[in-house]
Amino acid sequence: MNHPILDPRVAPPFPVAALPVLRNPQLRKNVAHATDVIQAKRARLVAEKTDWQALRDSGAAIRDHVLDNLAHYLEQFEERCTAAGGVVHWARDAAEARSIVLNILREEQASEVIKIKTMTSAEIQLNPFLVENGIAPHETDLAEIILQLGQDEPSHIVVPALHVNRSQVRDIFAKTMGLPDLSDDPQALTAAARTYLRKMFLTVPTAISGANFLIAETGSVVVIESEGNGRMCLTLPRTMITLAGIEKVLPRYQDLEVMLQVLARSATGERMNPYTSVWTGVTPGDGPQRFHVVLLDNGRSGILRSSRERQTLRCIRCAACMNACPVYRQTGGHAYGSVYPGPIGAILTPQLMELEYAQSLPYASSLCGACYEVCPVKINIPEILIDLRAAVTDREREEERRFFDPMYVGLRMANKIFASASRFRAAQRLARLALRPFTGKDGWIRSLPGYASRWTMSRDLRGVPRQTFREWWAERDGKAVR
Amino acid sequence: MSSSVNARAAIFDRIRAATSAVPAEIPTTHAGLPRNYRRNGQMSANARVALLIERLREYDAEVTECAPDEIVQAIARVIEASGRRVLVAPPGLPAGWLVPACNWKTDNHLTHDEIECAQGVVTGATCAIAESGTIVLHHTPAEGRRVLSLLPDWHLCVLRAAQVVESLPEYFDGCGTPPALVTFISGPSATADIEMTRIKGVHGPRFLSVLIVRDLGTTRPGAASGAKGAQ
Amino acid sequence: MRASLFITCYNDTLFPETGQAVVRLLERLGVEVEFRPAQTCCGQMHANTGFRGEAFSLAKQFVRLYADAEAVVIPSSSCVAMIREQYPNLLAELGTDSLRREFETLLPRVHELSEFLVDVLQVEDVGAYFPHRVAYHASCHGLRALELGNRPLRLLNHVRGLELAPLDNLDRCCGFGGTFSVKNAEVSSAMLTAKLQDVLATRAEFCTALDNSCLIHLGGALHREYAPIRTIHMAQILASTQDAPAEMV
Repeated sequence: MNHPILDPRVAPPFPVAALPVLRNPQLRKNVAHATDVIQAKRARLVAEKTDWQALRDSGAAIRDHVLDNLAHYLEQFEERCTAAGGVVHWARDAAEARSIVLNILREEQASEVIKIKTMTSAEIQLNPFLVENGIAPHETDLAEIILQLGQDEPSHIVVPALHVNRSQVRDIFAKTMGLPDLSDDPQALTAAARTYLRKMFLTVPTAISGANFLIAETGSVVVIESEGNGRMCLTLPRTMITLAGIEKVLPRYQDLEVMLQVLARSATGERMNPYTSVWTGVTPGDGPQRFHVVLLDNGRSGILRSSRERQTLRCIRCAACMNACPVYRQTGGHAYGSVYPGPIGAILTPQLMELEYAQSLPYASSLCGACYEVCPVKINIPEILIDLRAAVTDREREEERRFFDPMYVGLRMANKIFASASRFRAAQRLARLALRPFTGKDGWIRSLPGYASRWTMSRDLRGVPRQTFREWWAERDGKAVR
Repeated sequence: MSSSVNARAAIFDRIRAATSAVPAEIPTTHAGLPRNYRRNGQMSANARVALLIERLREYDAEVTECAPDEIVQAIARVIEASGRRVLVAPPGLPAGWLVPACNWKTDNHLTHDEIECAQGVVTGATCAIAESGTIVLHHTPAEGRRVLSLLPDWHLCVLRAAQVVESLPEYFDGCGTPPALVTFISGPSATADIEMTRIKGVHGPRFLSVLIVRDLGTTRPGAASGAKGAQ
Repeated sequence: MRASLFITCYNDTLFPETGQAVVRLLERLGVEVEFRPAQTCCGQMHANTGFRGEAFSLAKQFVRLYADAEAVVIPSSSCVAMIREQYPNLLAELGTDSLRREFETLLPRVHELSEFLVDVLQVEDVGAYFPHRVAYHASCHGLRALELGNRPLRLLNHVRGLELAPLDNLDRCCGFGGTFSVKNAEVSSAMLTAKLQDVLATRAEFCTALDNSCLIHLGGALHREYAPIRTIHMAQILASTQDAPAEMV
């Protein structure tokens, strides 16, 4: 199995990246099973929550309010966090963030570090960078261990190893943990992971986390998890480094009353996840006595500029959109070539890359709207997908190679045809004529050449009927066809 | 660290160029955001507690109840039934709760290894939310620092019925000044990372036991004093 | 009541029988139907592929053409969604104030077919007869963009002789998505296969929807697989009577 490439700068375009996945029945089965399970659990809990829509409205409003006033809330967070003993750092891009983290680790003389799962660290490609610099990063989240030990990449932002089944996990653990007799029972696999990690939790003095939220009012960090590895990492070590995108901030502690209600229901189909931890700077005698926050821009401030696209940054990383997406259901996450896959990935990744890369992602959607329907903060993903398609097209249409691209030629031509009814009628007659050789006696087309073969590769096509509607109408009305 | 200063300035410049906030108006705007979700519980106190118990049991937490004048006996019974002897206690746990049958280590700068050797921990709590079966710890002296309720495999949480609210917004409403440290516990740790099969007990205490003291008629945390909602 | 039929570019060319059914149905219900021959296309294909300028020119054409229509009826929920959801953005970006005003007064008069029947004509029993087992697929635009709700089912429930076969995952996208069906042909086909499994499991004789865009895709696969199910636009079911049964194309 090829190692999946989650770097948008080099990943193949979505239609190409999807091909090996579509030929992998095991992976497709795993993805369909996982997303079906979470969707069903989510649906039940949402049905029972009579104020669900009001929560979504508030969730969207709070997140928009933060984005409108981001400078103020970041300043407030920095001030309060610093007053509580934290050190706040700012990183314009991935390289800067990696370098800040490395400097802190060097100051700590750390040769290894334990990590709580954070997509932000995958976004900046931190792990390979640490390894290059002689520091061993140990993932502690079960899914992340599966991926790290299996030399794989995350395919979902909440259940990153959902594309891996139990016997595949067994094989990975048996080999890397030296447990040849390990069974594939999830209970046994989990117990193996627990043993493997316990010693690490108790001895590694430095940890790296992400943040689900930052609270401006108090300068606090919020980590939401299920397994307890988060609590281990944020309680036992001497030094904690939290890496967080600048958009993660919430105004007040109380705003969690909305976010916590919608996040667990959306992400894992539970009323509440097992553990949510909130800490503020440094508390003498309790937890890490050295605490750093690295605030990451990496393209987010650029997304703020557009009034319509800004809603992308409301995202609270619940992955409900992924679970609802009929495209994701068929392809899984790796096909998107980014640590952020699925519907949110299709709008976030290209924007973080300032549309220089990942240009195929906005087209990786049938615009069905299921994602918008489930998004707890009401991000209108279809609307943004269409805007991004326009932005990509505006960039591309001037390129010479697009001049002969069948899609571009076809759409330009179609527009000229639609500009006039008489031209349209002529085009209809021409289409009927042109398709006649391909049309069977039963009035169906089974095979078309060139670009059109992308339709007939899996579907037949009704031949163009002898009479269009407008021709029928004109006849009926006794008028000659003009 | 001039690079950090430059980075900070550059980021703020970009943010300010993209937004146009008027700082003085921000608190007002925040206060005016739509909040039409349920913010008050409608259940009676007894129904709240019953719902909490149901939700706790859904997570396979063990739940027992007792009257206010039987706390110590109830604690002793639960501990004995658990088969555990070596327990850690937060420094502020009521002395009477340190029942004689056990080997107690009260936390006075215990090392992680010492805590790791304990079989369980007993704490109080700040609040519980019935709708989601959530216990909230503010890590007060009676609840202990965070490592105490993390390393031992068994956590006995003593909760007063008057501390139970129906919904999450009520907890935040009654919270007052936000605490520096909070842990929300909704059942023992779990994972569904392997084929979406929910496995309980990864890290953190694999066994959670809750003792509910039926003291309905006393005030809720953070609320004005005086009996509230005694039913 | 005078209704102006916007047939849509693809129905006009590929599904004239759907348009004919709409005319028959509305006339039976006492509506005078007109057809403005200057019509061509709403611009959805262009807008969804990123050709905004081209889409705008078609939007302008549409607004100008129907400015004085009493009601515009469209047997395609995706085209109505285009008009309701995307025209405002296009006109705001590229149009003049007067065009935007014209559009604002026109918009309330634009209706998808089932909306026109249930909300405007206020009928659910259109006097139809279609004695067959039918599965209903909820097109995404109708379901989520137009929030048609149970209007389609209420209409089908009054069709005499019709047996409604429940379709599993009826709200899951069929995978057409316009140009998505060719730009991402393989993924579109994979989604189509999943949909086909659910459709075939209904053992229905017909699969219906309010959008021929879904049906051209589903129908194309059903035909390819020699499946014993045909697709038919709901307008044709609703137009079908004992004296004039739906044309089986």
